[in-house]
Amino acid sequence: MRPWLLLVPVVAAAFWLRTHDLAARPMHADEANQAVKTGELLEHGRYAFDPRDHHGPVLYYAALPIAWVRGQRTLASLDETTLRLVPAIAGTASVALLFWLALSLGVWPALTAAALLAVSPPAVYYSRYFVQETLLVAFTLGLLACARQWWHTTDRRWVIAAGLCAGLMQSSKASTPLFLSAAVVAALAAPGFVAQLSRRSHLTRDLALAIGAALVTAALFYSSFGTHPAGLIDAIATYRLTAERLGAGATGHEKPWPYYLQLFGVQRWGGFSVAQSIFPLLIGAGALVALSLRRPVVRWILVYTGLIVLLLSSSAYKTPWHAIHFVPPFALLIAVGVHAACAKSRVAITITAVLTLASLGTLLYQTRFVAFLRPADSRNPFAYVHSAADVKKYRALAGAALARHPDRPIRVISEESWPLPWYFRGLEKNTGYWSTPPADCDGALVIASEHQSAAVRDRLRDRYEESILGLRPGFIMVVFMRVTAP
Amino acid sequence: MKRILLLTLASLAATALHAQDKVPLKLDLPKPLFVGTPRPISLPNLEPATAKRADLMVPAGTKLLSKGKPVTSSDPLPVIGELSFITDGEKSGVDGTYVELGPGVQWVQVDLGASAKIAAVALWHFHAQERVYHDTIIQISDDKDFKKGVVTIYNNDHDNSAKIAKGSDLAYRETYQGRVFDGKGTVGRYVRCYSNGNTSDELNHYTELEVFGAAK
Repeated sequence: MRPWLLLVPVVAAAFWLRTHDLAARPMHADEANQAVKTGELLEHGRYAFDPRDHHGPVLYYAALPIAWVRGQRTLASLDETTLRLVPAIAGTASVALLFWLALSLGVWPALTAAALLAVSPPAVYYSRYFVQETLLVAFTLGLLACARQWWHTTDRRWVIAAGLCAGLMQSSKASTPLFLSAAVVAALAAPGFVAQLSRRSHLTRDLALAIGAALVTAALFYSSFGTHPAGLIDAIATYRLTAERLGAGATGHEKPWPYYLQLFGVQRWGGFSVAQSIFPLLIGAGALVALSLRRPVVRWILVYTGLIVLLLSSSAYKTPWHAIHFVPPFALLIAVGVHAACAKSRVAITITAVLTLASLGTLLYQTRFVAFLRPADSRNPFAYVHSAADVKKYRALAGAALARHPDRPIRVISEESWPLPWYFRGLEKNTGYWSTPPADCDGALVIASEHQSAAVRDRLRDRYEESILGLRPGFIMVVFMRVTAP
Repeated sequence: MKRILLLTLASLAATALHAQDKVPLKLDLPKPLFVGTPRPISLPNLEPATAKRADLMVPAGTKLLSKGKPVTSSDPLPVIGELSFITDGEKSGVDGTYVELGPGVQWVQVDLGASAKIAAVALWHFHAQERVYHDTIIQISDDKDFKKGVVTIYNNDHDNSAKIAKGSDLAYRETYQGRVFDGKGTVGRYVRCYSNGNTSDELNHYTELEVFGAAK
């Protein structure tokens, strides 16, 4: 049987887990913000890279073909499913790419790695999340797989494809050099790599092709395909701005160094449990096996995994979506263990198979919990400062208010308002946002943060019905629905 | 005239006697769980945050009737916690002391074992985070199915989104003090509390439900 046939059910499962009921979870503020930018690009063809507060452009451009296929041409018609299909497809592709990358360890180890990524809780969760991280993982795996093919075949098409992937990585997130550095250092640490590299013909030409492909790809995206040349300068300026921001003091996202590793361990809050107990055991076993082997690919996996853990954990700035960068290397380490077991004995194969299946089962169980049952719960370690379920109620209120008072505005008066601009898409002409109460607060619908609601109420002249809705856990909004004229 | 005067005096005396029978309801409060500067707000439909809530006056001899009594729910198999937590007297609110019911409209119901004259109901949903529970409705009845003889003592479902009945009571912020509802001497064996998610998530939490009163 051809190996890829074994992959079909794994990829099918990965696709289902990443695409089922995509619109159910309320939009996170970060998703909503990027969704509105996508809508601007879709509706008006306008995009300019923002080096201060946003990541790269690929996410927005990647949503366009899906929107077109689904018949969506405006921000108002855009929906959550269209947007989240971008990371969902990238996440599914990652599973196939990891299988391909791990094939040098054998079919069963490669299949194991792919299956672990397919059901991994953070991988599934962030493949259903409209942020750049899953794209970066997919392009990283694409780069590594293409580079491996080039290494074995010397076919320059692979090196161009690798360069293309590197360009797409850079156009997804500015943190790309970190992953490229880890991959290169790990390659240099692999036994015999440097000697083989020095003997390769056309090395300079091939490297130039790869770098050229990467630069052209990144330049196209950052310049908004030639329509915004200043984006090229901003693509470099983003590093300075990021350094300034991180150097300016606490960002609120500082976490201790073991944070990412803890996400792969046992976590319990109020009976809510996310425990990947067998997965870390297998990673540890795989690492021990890898330490005992001198095979270049195994050494590369070991060093690359170590560097990713080290580099991401050493930064004080941590957000849980970075955890998905740990999953492919961890899965590769486990694949090393499976590879070693396959060469040992039937007993070793049986034990490994049982543990792997048990790990897949527990991962799947946890994925069901974090991605489907409690995707926006504040106790879910991957639902980071997530919007409350109440955010889905605002749009209906706005519709009802405008139906009654079409000539009056919707006012959002709050220190924080995302993801409301997403939910009020299509109502841009009627909706305004203030961080402090304006002189005239009246409107068809006035939404004020609890903190500002007293000041807003003092300035309201019309009659309103009041109700309470949440924005995020602990962040309460007061909703003033206009009843009659004064 | 003399007769009217005597009747008035008798009525005043009875009222005074009745008032003397009333005592403040004493609650065993847990420690506050979330810290931070309370925001000074005053909302017509959200009760003001006060450091100490005014005591509810209840008849002398009022007792806690619900301790250890059986609890049923619209979600009989909660993912987190057990229904028995609701009447176990543990209201600290820390992990492992509350029950979490699924999303949407859910209810819990305590069976007092016999019909009683209910003076007060005290409820703690979840007080580890600042939040407001939607569509909180408290009902008392002698019918375990709440189909007849139902008395609603509190309802903040201003838009009837729970589809039980529209209410005009003020929503309230969860704190360690819980919320005490005046039972007004309503007679019933069962007390049912509805909720419909909260401002943080769509789930329904119950830490403790205490029913105070006297046997009928």
